[in-house]
Amino acid sequence: MSAIPIPDGHTEELTARVEKKEFQRWAAAVGDLNPMYFDEDFARANGHRDVVMPPLFLSCVTHQAPRLDELRPDGTRRGRVGFGPLPDELDLPPRRMGGGEERWYYSCVHPGDVITSRRSIRDIEKKTGRSGAFVLVTWESVDRNQYDEIVGRCVSSMIAR
Amino acid sequence: MSEQRYFEDVRTGDDIPVASRTVGRTQLFLFSAATNNPHRVHYDTTWAVEEEGYADILVHGPLQAALMAQTLTDWAGPRGRLTRIALRNRASAFPDRELRFTGRVTDKHESGADALVEIEILEEDGAGQILMPGTATVALPRRTGGDR
Repeated sequence: MSAIPIPDGHTEELTARVEKKEFQRWAAAVGDLNPMYFDEDFARANGHRDVVMPPLFLSCVTHQAPRLDELRPDGTRRGRVGFGPLPDELDLPPRRMGGGEERWYYSCVHPGDVITSRRSIRDIEKKTGRSGAFVLVTWESVDRNQYDEIVGRCVSSMIAR
Repeated sequence: MSEQRYFEDVRTGDDIPVASRTVGRTQLFLFSAATNNPHRVHYDTTWAVEEEGYADILVHGPLQAALMAQTLTDWAGPRGRLTRIALRNRASAFPDRELRFTGRVTDKHESGADALVEIEILEEDGAGQILMPGTATVALPRRTGGDR
């Protein structure tokens, strides 16, 4: 196992407003029709001002739509993966898969909240496993709302081989 | 979704009811669209098999995580709250095959205002192969006020 230096430009900070329609589309695709996400009256009866955002949607709030001219042959985007920035100069092996993640949620998020996600690479390691050499990239991210309260944190990793 | 579960009613060793889900190809398409994910391993069978060596297209890791989270939030009820989830991607999940989501309560404790339940969680395929093990923490309301 050896550490690879983390290049410059490995931190991104993105801000976006929470849109009810977007997280409801996500929940419908999951097949999770929880009335807390869809029914305002039900959510109000349970102590919220509006429907609640599904917690796992938090990492999607600031995702930007991919542009066709920034896609690699496998469809993934140059310069980043879902977890965060991934500078091209790292020249990692092409096959990418999730390694694992740990996510913490500190408070509920509602439509109209504004989320700022700061994501950075924590480390990059060369490793050898049962099926040969691979590179493990680990990101950490912190999500704040419009009141600068931390609403969530995440540590996630990706395997490139 | 089930009715409200309260902290006092949970015991260490309790099982979270099994959720059995089969993700079809249309659902994979909808999840890719809802997450702005153009990765071909989730919709292009020729690419997944010939270029990446998989048996089929793959169920997204974040979709498996979302199904696991749904199992937990359905169990917790509307005033429960998922406060932590940790998962490891052990093996690939494929569409049109059964995925089983289970959990078992390993501890319960009170931390400040929160009444927390620790849960060991597991995703297996229909043949019992472990796909995604992990742990989670859920905050539950108390029967005696102060629930949140």
